[in-house]
Amino acid sequence: MSEEQTLELLIGPQHPGSGHMRLVAEMDGDVILNFEPNIGYVHRAVEKIAETKTYVQIIPLVERTSLPDTANHNLGYVLALERLLGIDAPLRAQYLRILLAEINRIHSHLYGMGIHGNMIGSTTMLMWAFGDREPFIELAQRLTGARLSYSYIIPGGVRRDLPQDFRNDALKALSYMERRLKDYDRIFVHNPVTLARLKGVGVINRIDAARIGVVGPNLRASGIAYDVRKIEPYCIYPDLDFEVVVRDEGDAHARLLVRIGEIEQSISMIRQILGKIPDGSILADRYLDLVPSRTRFEKRSSVKFPALFSGLKPSKGEAVSRVEASRGELFHYLVSDGSTHPYRFRIVTPSFKNLIAFKHALLGQKLADIPAVYGSLDYFPPEADR
Amino acid sequence: MFDAVIRRLSRALARQKILSSLKDWGTSFSLWPVHFTTACCGSEFAASFCPRYDAERYGFLPFVGTRQCNVLFIEGTVTKKMAEAAKIVYEQMPEPKFVFAMGACAIDGGIFWNSYNIVRPHEILPVDVYIPGCPPRPEAILKSLTMEQEKIRKKVTPHPEN
Repeated sequence: MSEEQTLELLIGPQHPGSGHMRLVAEMDGDVILNFEPNIGYVHRAVEKIAETKTYVQIIPLVERTSLPDTANHNLGYVLALERLLGIDAPLRAQYLRILLAEINRIHSHLYGMGIHGNMIGSTTMLMWAFGDREPFIELAQRLTGARLSYSYIIPGGVRRDLPQDFRNDALKALSYMERRLKDYDRIFVHNPVTLARLKGVGVINRIDAARIGVVGPNLRASGIAYDVRKIEPYCIYPDLDFEVVVRDEGDAHARLLVRIGEIEQSISMIRQILGKIPDGSILADRYLDLVPSRTRFEKRSSVKFPALFSGLKPSKGEAVSRVEASRGELFHYLVSDGSTHPYRFRIVTPSFKNLIAFKHALLGQKLADIPAVYGSLDYFPPEADR
Repeated sequence: MFDAVIRRLSRALARQKILSSLKDWGTSFSLWPVHFTTACCGSEFAASFCPRYDAERYGFLPFVGTRQCNVLFIEGTVTKKMAEAAKIVYEQMPEPKFVFAMGACAIDGGIFWNSYNIVRPHEILPVDVYIPGCPPRPEAILKSLTMEQEKIRKKVTPHPEN
C-alpha cells in the first residue's frame, strides 16, 4: 500500500485514551494496519537510583514504579533481599504479607476495571469501582498507615501487627464486595453495550500469547493457566485454597472476566487468611533482638526499625524473586558486592511484558477499539517505564 | 474599526472592579484540569474525583481538550520527554490558566531527586500551588483547590493581567 493511502495517527500523551504514553497508529481508513506504542514518558531511572541507595531505602523506591499495586512490588523486592540475606520471616508475618498483597490485588483490579469502564464510556463503572476501592484502601490503611504507598513489608517480617478490630471490618468489606460484584454484572460486565464493545475485540490467541510473553490476567484470559502463585508458590500460598481463573476466548471481555474472577478468589483467600492466621511475632528473631525494648514493641505491636537496617550488608552474591503482582509476573534481580548498596538491581515488570500485546491485539481492529483494548490490558505506564 | 473599539471597550469594562471580581468568582468555581497524566500520582488524583472525595463539588471537572481547560495538574514526576508535552499542553490552554504541582517529585524531585531523566516543574512552568506528599492524599488535593480558589478571588496569582 502506498504512503498516501495510509494515515499515521498520533494519540497522546495528552489524550483521555492514552495514559502516559503516545500511541502511534497507522490507519487505512478506520482499520489499524500497524500499531506502535511510544513509551518512555515516565522513565525515572529506578534501577540506577537503586544503586545509590541502601537496601532499606529501595523499598519505597520500588513501590513508586506501580502505585496502585505497591504491596506486591514491595513483597517481590523484599523476597529477593531476604534470599540474599539468608533470613526467613516468621509465619504470622508471612500471613500478614499475603493479606496485604490480596487486599491490594482487589483494589488494583478495581482501579483497572474503573479506568476500563471510563475508556469505553461507562462512567458509572468508573465511579462504582473507585468508590468500592475505598473500603479496601481503608483496610490497608488500618493495617499499614498509608493509603497507597505502604512500605509495610521489611526484611525479616512486617512493620505492624493486625489492628484489634480489623477482622470484623475486613469481613464486612468482603461481603460488601461480593454483593457489589453482582451489581457490576448487571450494569457493566454483561451489559449489552459492553458486550458489543468488548466481545471478540483485541483477541490474542493461545499460541500468540505464549510466544510474545504476555503475563498475568491477560495471559490467563488467553487460556493458559500460568500463575506464579501456583507454579512457584511463595510465602503461604501453598496453604491457601484457590483456583487459577482461566478463560479461553482471549478477547477484551475475557480479560475483564478474569479480573472479576480474581477478585472473587482474593476475597476467598482473605477469608481463609483471617480464619487461620497464627499467633507469634511479626519480625524475625534475628532482628527482634535488636529492637531497643522488646517488651514495649510487643505492647505497641509495631516495629521501629533497628538501626542495623540502615547498614544492611548482604554477603556477595545474587538473588532472584518472582511474585504474581496484580498485573502479572513480577521479577526482581539483585546483585550484591558486599557493600551497603546493591551492585545491580533489575526489575522486569508485568506491564512491560504486556506492552507487546498492544501490537498484536490491535492489528486489524477499528480506531474506536483502541481504548477498549487499552483498558482491558490494564497497562500502567510508570510500571513499564520504571 | 468597529471591532477594535468594541474590544477596547470590553477590556476596559473587564478591568472595572465589579466585573473583574465577578469574573474571578466565576473562574474560581470553574477550574477544569486537562487530562494529562505525568506520573504515578495520577492514581490518587483519580481517587479525588470519585465518590469518596468528589472534587466536582468545588467545580473542579477533569476534561479532555486543552482548549476547554484552564488548569494543568502536574501529577508527580516530570521526565524530560514528558516536559516537552507538558509545555505544549500549557501553551495551548487559554488564559487565565493555573498550574498545580502535585507530589514531592513535582516540588524538587522527591525520591527521584538525583535521577538523570527528571525535570523540576518550576523550571518550565509557572506553578501556582504545590501539594506535598508522596503521593498526596485526596484531602490534600481538595485543600489545594480551595486555596487556589481563595487566591484567585484575592487576585494573588502569578498572572498579573488577570
